[in-house]
Amino acid sequence: MHKSNRYTAAKRLDRRDFLANSCGILAASAITGFGIRSSAAADTINIGGLYPVTGSFAQIGQGCVNAAKLAVQMVNDAGGIKSLGGAKLNLIVSDVQSDPTVTRTETDRLISSYRPAAIHGAFASALTLIASEVAERAKTPLLTGSSSDQLNKDRRYTFTPFSRASQFALAQLQMSKLVSDQPKVAVIFENTAFGTSTSNGLREQAPAQGVEIVLFEPYSAGLSDASPLINKVKASGANMLFPVSYLNDLILIIRAIKQVDLKIAINGGSGGFVIPDFYRNVGNAAEGLLGIAHWNHDINENAQKVNAAYQKQFGEFLFEYAGGLVAQTFMIADALERAASADPQKVRDALATLEVSEGYAAMCPGGRVKFGPDGKNIYAHPVGVQWQRGDLATVFPKEDARAQLIKA
Amino acid sequence: MLATLAQAVVNGLLIGGVYALVSIGVTLIFGVVKIVNFAQGEFLMIGMYISFFLASSFGIDPLLSLLISMPCLFAVGVLVQHFLIRRVLALGDMPQIFLTFALSLLLINLALLLFTANYRTVQTPYSELTIHIGPLYFAVAKLIAFAIAMLLSGLLWLFLHGTDLGKAMRAAAQNREVAMLMGINPDRVFCVAVGVALALAGAAGSLLMPFYPAYPLVGQIFVLMAFVAVVLGTLGNITGALIASLMMGIAESLGVQFVGADSGLIVVFVMLLLTLALRPNGLFGGWAR
Repeated sequence: MHKSNRYTAAKRLDRRDFLANSCGILAASAITGFGIRSSAAADTINIGGLYPVTGSFAQIGQGCVNAAKLAVQMVNDAGGIKSLGGAKLNLIVSDVQSDPTVTRTETDRLISSYRPAAIHGAFASALTLIASEVAERAKTPLLTGSSSDQLNKDRRYTFTPFSRASQFALAQLQMSKLVSDQPKVAVIFENTAFGTSTSNGLREQAPAQGVEIVLFEPYSAGLSDASPLINKVKASGANMLFPVSYLNDLILIIRAIKQVDLKIAINGGSGGFVIPDFYRNVGNAAEGLLGIAHWNHDINENAQKVNAAYQKQFGEFLFEYAGGLVAQTFMIADALERAASADPQKVRDALATLEVSEGYAAMCPGGRVKFGPDGKNIYAHPVGVQWQRGDLATVFPKEDARAQLIKA
Repeated sequence: MLATLAQAVVNGLLIGGVYALVSIGVTLIFGVVKIVNFAQGEFLMIGMYISFFLASSFGIDPLLSLLISMPCLFAVGVLVQHFLIRRVLALGDMPQIFLTFALSLLLINLALLLFTANYRTVQTPYSELTIHIGPLYFAVAKLIAFAIAMLLSGLLWLFLHGTDLGKAMRAAAQNREVAMLMGINPDRVFCVAVGVALALAGAAGSLLMPFYPAYPLVGQIFVLMAFVAVVLGTLGNITGALIASLMMGIAESLGVQFVGADSGLIVVFVMLLLTLALRPNGLFGGWAR
């Protein structure tokens, strides 16, 4: 359920979605215009990107689109798809607006109007589940960084190159051992579907990892003041805190901890915790905080190269989800190259037999990609990250660590 | 244990000061103009954005920008009263409810359009500062917010009791017709009342900015508490709203501490239900305004 927190938050904010929807018609026509203009060249292969570029996730969605464009440009600059006479990739972006209904119609529209060879998207797990159903029926391959384990059930056309939600909880528990030999963890979580399922996952796996949970506390999302909650954490005697929260509550929680001068290690998990916006809002107080990611920009040389290009163009580091979909674009290119065809069925078959351990397509934690029969990358695992000097550094597991863990 | 209890009371009291500014505004408008302003939280949101942009563009401290956000929102209040509320005053409850509710929706969506849904925070030197007194700690930003909120409430009380305009406002609140017969111009009084109420919401926004993120829906978090406080403290009663707000802040904090973090509000609403059942006019129903 890793990505779904962003989505849950959107569901909470129905009114803002309403606005997003009412602007949708305008936005959709604008994006269609973009597609038609850039598909004018003869030797191009359409690939689709489903991202929320208006509405509550606009900023993150826009980051994904920027990364996707950069990736397509990289493939094209390197000569395109050689087995197809150097055909160029043409990215068609469709705005899913953080809305399940819009996601369904947009995915349908994208596939029927442009016949893309493959699609990637759609950021939030709940949206990706819908997009993958539509893609399944239309027999079009979909790659995604979304982590819901449900995406690997009864799907033939969905491929997930990165770690699954169930792996995130395990990694988060194991990381607490880095901070203390006897981790005493306080879990505070918003009482939503996302908060409850994530925290239950943590609680179930904790005993096997030798982690003691001393406080397990649901709270109502949308805090007006986090100090009473932090007062409770303080009283629990925990040495590690797992907040399962959306950004506005996280900001209050972290500030309240600083105000009480509570010395406690914090692991905020994934989602809103590992994007540049988090640091912009929390500032110096974010230094030293831990998180989990399915991708990070320092995992290998290629990732660092792409990150540098992205940073130069957009002024912030390449975040987890956006970085992962650069790798996905290269996986699609690899499949196209071997299939020597832009037919979605043939591309799907080529993805099913994909096996890479070098180049941009293998730019993942572990450095290898091979999909099992359920569409899961059998080598995928998450990495533990830490905010260090405004940047996100990989510190866990040992074989992926690129920086020393800074202890408080 | 005692320290935890005392700390919970302190936490509740400090945030109660912010609730008070919002609820006093609601109750002032209700008392004088006899209209429920559902958009009060959105004016707090506007106050926050004013402070945010002044801080991020010109480096003005959010507490200083109080001096800008309050007059701005006063002016907005006068305009809202003159061009919107005045036109529906004679039409009964429904159009009035629709008007302020629509205003709330409009402002939220305008904010989404203009400022996006992103969270905006301001870092001040005192954002994470605390004062320790014995085992208790006081967050400086919240302490300042509380102190200024109390100061503004006191000034409002002086204004209502010590100036002609304030007295006219109370007269109009007590009996509009008789006040008109005494030569009080209700339009003018109403404009000032709405202006002052919105200025208080703007002040709450500026005071929140050093420790709370701004986003288009932020008003909704505070306005709910404000409405409960207004009812608890008797509609139209300013002192009642102030005391009820502080009580609710404390009740919420104690609820989080001793009942459960997802049930802090339950304590508040149990208080509300009991009050409505036992004293339907609110806790301060018999008090003079």
